[in-house]
Amino acid sequence: MVTNLIYFYFLFFAVIICALGVIFAPMMYISAIALFLFICFSALIYLYLNSVYLSVFQFILCGLFLSVYIFLLIKKIGRANLSLSLAPTSKIIISSTFVLLLGLLFVLYFTQEFDSSLYSFFNSVVEKSFGSVNFKHYLYPLSLIGVFVFVSAAVLRVFIDNSLAAEQQKENEEKQS
Amino acid sequence: MISALLNIGLAHFLILSLILFLTGLFGVLISRNMLRTVMSLFIMSVSTVINFVAFGYYCDSTMENANMISVFILILTVIQTIIALVILYKIYQANESLDAEKIKDKES
Repeated sequence: MVTNLIYFYFLFFAVIICALGVIFAPMMYISAIALFLFICFSALIYLYLNSVYLSVFQFILCGLFLSVYIFLLIKKIGRANLSLSLAPTSKIIISSTFVLLLGLLFVLYFTQEFDSSLYSFFNSVVEKSFGSVNFKHYLYPLSLIGVFVFVSAAVLRVFIDNSLAAEQQKENEEKQS
Repeated sequence: MISALLNIGLAHFLILSLILFLTGLFGVLISRNMLRTVMSLFIMSVSTVINFVAFGYYCDSTMENANMISVFILILTVIQTIIALVILYKIYQANESLDAEKIKDKES
């Protein structure tokens, strides 16, 4: 029981750390190694869930072929020691806010929709197959998604308008000069 | 709270998959290097596979459907990643860089 628990939490944190390592590794080759470890640990998670076939499949297909392919590509283009380059700070802040909002939306959706019990998700599917779904119950999460889509569309529209205006201004200046 | 942490269930795997998905999305949004973007997309795909396998384990005793769908997703992910890597190599040959901002500046 305890060993099982420790094993699960070890895999849980190892997979998350490897995923973070892929994104924030200072050098490109460290990023590729983190991806290889990520593939291995996620294969172990499948093994934990009794999916032996899938685990072996992922290890062979992704671990032994895809990772090697990425390593070879990095070596071929000579970018193994390429340092980490991230987007500007403003973009990172906007992105993190977006990601946090999306995470919050997911959590809200599950807690609201399935009454804190994720097992009842399957019951909801069964309920749908019998054609007795209460659509009134689904309005709140759907409205949240709708609001989120409209807000993100409005923000994107502002960004695109600004960049178009800047491009037109640049073209006008070039024509005048 | 502690009992929820000790009794491992479907929720734990869904939380793991959510964290991985959001990490991958964050990586796609913030990294300038296109190779890292492709790797982040791969992480997002693996998070969906974990989701399917967890639902299969806890809701379907035979796990046939979950395994079948997961294998399909995995194959498609690998194909998509390899095609993306080939395109990246071509982009590198043309521009001598994989930095999205630099390539954008060069083209403009």
